[in-house]
Amino acid sequence: MDWKGYTAIYVVLFAFATAQAVVEFAGLVDSAYWVAFALIMVLSVVKAVGVAAYYQHLRWEPRAVTYLVLGGTVAALALTGAAAYSIL
Amino acid sequence: MSQDHEHGLPPKSSVSRWFLTTNHKDIGVLYLITALFFLLFGGVLALLFRLELISSGADLLGSMGYNQAVSTHGLLMVFWFISPFAFGFANYVVPLQIGADDLAFPRLNALSYWLYLFSGILMGVSFFQGTTFAGGWTMYAPLNTPAYIPGEGLGATSVVLALIMFTAAVTLGSVNFLTTMYRMRAEGLRMRDIPIFSLSINLTVWMMLFAFAALLAALMILASDHILGTTYFQYSIDGTTMATDADNPGASLLWAHLFWFFGHPEVYIVFFPALGVMAECFQTFTGRRLVGRKWFIISMVLVALQSFVVWMHHMFLTGINLPIKTIFMATTIGISLPFDLMVFSLIYTMAKGRVRFTTPFLFSLGALILFIIGGITGVFLGAIVLDYQFRGTYWVVAHFHYVMVSGATALFGGLYYWYPKITGKMYNERLGKIHFGVYFLGFNLLYFPMFIAWETPRRVFVYPEGLQIWHSMATVGGFILGASFLIMFYNLFVSLWRGEDVGPNPWEYATSAEWAVSSPPPLENFPGIPSYATGKLEFLDDETVAERTESTPGAAAHGHAATDGGTATDGGAVTARAAVTATEMEPAHEVGGEEHASHASFWPFLISLAGFITFLGLSGVRTGSVFYLSLAAVGGLGTFGSLLGMTRELFHAPEMAIAERWPFERVEKMKLGMWTFLASDIVLFGAFIGSYAFVRVAYGWTAWHHDLIPAEHVTMPGLINTYLLLTSSFLVVIAMVAAERESKRGTVAALVGTFALGVGFLINKGLEWQHLFHISTESFPNGWTLSTNIASSTFYLTTGLHGAHVTIGLIICAYMTVRAWNGAYQGDDRAIEYFGLYWHFVDIVWLFLFPLFYIL
Ligand SMILES: [Cu+2]
Repeated sequence: MDWKGYTAIYVVLFAFATAQAVVEFAGLVDSAYWVAFALIMVLSVVKAVGVAAYYQHLRWEPRAVTYLVLGGTVAALALTGAAAYSIL
Repeated sequence: MSQDHEHGLPPKSSVSRWFLTTNHKDIGVLYLITALFFLLFGGVLALLFRLELISSGADLLGSMGYNQAVSTHGLLMVFWFISPFAFGFANYVVPLQIGADDLAFPRLNALSYWLYLFSGILMGVSFFQGTTFAGGWTMYAPLNTPAYIPGEGLGATSVVLALIMFTAAVTLGSVNFLTTMYRMRAEGLRMRDIPIFSLSINLTVWMMLFAFAALLAALMILASDHILGTTYFQYSIDGTTMATDADNPGASLLWAHLFWFFGHPEVYIVFFPALGVMAECFQTFTGRRLVGRKWFIISMVLVALQSFVVWMHHMFLTGINLPIKTIFMATTIGISLPFDLMVFSLIYTMAKGRVRFTTPFLFSLGALILFIIGGITGVFLGAIVLDYQFRGTYWVVAHFHYVMVSGATALFGGLYYWYPKITGKMYNERLGKIHFGVYFLGFNLLYFPMFIAWETPRRVFVYPEGLQIWHSMATVGGFILGASFLIMFYNLFVSLWRGEDVGPNPWEYATSAEWAVSSPPPLENFPGIPSYATGKLEFLDDETVAERTESTPGAAAHGHAATDGGTATDGGAVTARAAVTATEMEPAHEVGGEEHASHASFWPFLISLAGFITFLGLSGVRTGSVFYLSLAAVGGLGTFGSLLGMTRELFHAPEMAIAERWPFERVEKMKLGMWTFLASDIVLFGAFIGSYAFVRVAYGWTAWHHDLIPAEHVTMPGLINTYLLLTSSFLVVIAMVAAERESKRGTVAALVGTFALGVGFLINKGLEWQHLFHISTESFPNGWTLSTNIASSTFYLTTGLHGAHVTIGLIICAYMTVRAWNGAYQGDDRAIEYFGLYWHFVDIVWLFLFPLFYIL
């Protein structure tokens, strides 16, 4: 990827970060908390995948590297999800 | 030839050799000896409290003495003895078995060892800081926090810090072993074909990588509760029930979740290497290949995966809900099934072969028998209804000693098995058998009566009168077990001089590669580059290697790119292995060429010593004592300086010219090491974020924001920091592009920009924190500080950990900027790329911290 591609990614990331704040400033967090929650977290995930895929070049690495990262992520999510569920 | 191949190391007879060595065999020996020392340490403590238990009551050690002895016995045996003992063998044997000349990062390997040793010393020092930790080896909350620890509790803080240091060693070790096993296997050696011991180590380090990251999170949070005054694991209760009236109702369960998420995989982390030893010994001494080897391996993989989804069986008597208990009962019973398969595989191997009852085999067989008993009694505990009865009793104590010490039993077998390989001498077989006999008798006399006296409450020094006879038997058994080691130490020590010399392979049917070279093996392990391409082990000479790498240009380029010459390429920072990226990536030497660079390094020792001093200082800073404060300052400076020293040191550890690398063929070793480290860092941050989510759910997710967080905590500083970090990430990528195009000015400018934005991030954060510390509102008259409430604790600690990552990144960035200024990286952007991997990761973490801590 050349610098133009990286710049395009940067612009998108910047816009998404702004969008997250806009969701709050628009008052959605107060009026419809869980909708805002879902919206904001999805934006975060999209940004994270963008950074990992392009800036960290996961797209061009062997899949095994992605699985390695996913392994850690799944472990962390399993801990968080199951622990939180256990006291619901 | 072998003389000038000592790689700058002094001879083994010289003491300095052992401080300087980075060779895997030397370090393996150091691990073995150190682990045996901690066996004695933990063993003597056990004998002390077994004496105490001859009669009910604490008349010998006193109550606090008893609690300390029990707690530290558990910690020492689980952490400082059994795994490091297994990793002594792993260090020595794995590179030999897979055909590598050393581990991928030899200096990091030395660093792992020294961190391990000094963490153990810190553990020892804690006994002299008033009292050491006395809250049981599981360190349940809130008894693990200063408010609940009698006296100043500095010893307890030291124990927590010692565990952090130990965990750092383990994490570095996991990264190192994984990189080694995926980048340095002999040609033709597929993963599934590597000897079973190495395979068991591979799965062990995978579990370590993730499980210890969760433990690290738990320990860092606990250390913060001790030193910084956060309140994760503390609560005060105003009303009648904890669930509704406490200010931090998740405190105690949070520890249990974090600890056991680590703790159950830890059982297999301890046991898998033992299983590997058993399988090796069964094969060698029955002359049979392991029956159903493929299924044995599949079973191990299944267990390794499943081990992460059974942890709540340790929490059946806590307030978690019934559905989750049921799920975890099912997964727990499920995990026993692959073990059945492994046990039968071993039994069939024995039945189909011709058994030779050597000492290693006896220990392996004994381990199998003990494990069967330990396993079956464990299934009882996995059933919710039975656990209601058995929890907190000696049934648990007996069960896990049958499991864990059965693992140790197999490892003692391993010690006899590889003793001739390591020393070149044969031990006395008759004494070995006598050792086994006494050991096995002592073991069962010690632990079996505990099943019978199961109604004894665990961790307590009083028990019902009628059980005294069983406890007396156990005490006698304990002393017999302890005495059996005198036979072992005598045997192994005397055999060093009087033992018969052995050739490469003293065991008739041993087939793995360590038996194909002399005993002990030469420093560089093999007389050439090992290859299994023809189906059997061969050694390629330099000429063949040169020919082959030249005739296939792709392979040559590959081998070339993979060879990381230059300085300090095995890099290494305690806090972040990100430092590796700061090191030079100079063009490689000739493929297969001679390297005469020194393999001696004093830095791993110095870093660990300085780290030890830092941690000892940190254990006492909350008292404000000048002594502790200056220790922390001096140690911190020393750590920084010695890390810098190691980074700048010339060190040469080339990748193999020809090797089997599935599934990471195109991932150069430094990059693979970095990714592996980041995977564990993901779990570390994941556990921090998970802890935040958990205590917030426990408190009430939506009420949290309203009750605990001041209105002054606004979104804007977080948003600005998001912009700063995103932009700095972008600039790192631009630095990479510039280096690729050989634009020195572009590279330097982009790196300077990255640095400036990172500094801006920290300044902005500092201002925000200052503001929040000093607010004075109706709800928060005394500011919003680390100790104000659980929300402030999670906010400061989680974003603080992130800030620490930023700081480390900035140090590396500054170092790289200077190097870029001096003309480095032009045309070779790999170092910048690897630093970028770390920096982008830090960026990604912030992408989640921002919404979670600022918006939602
Ligand atoms: Cu368990």
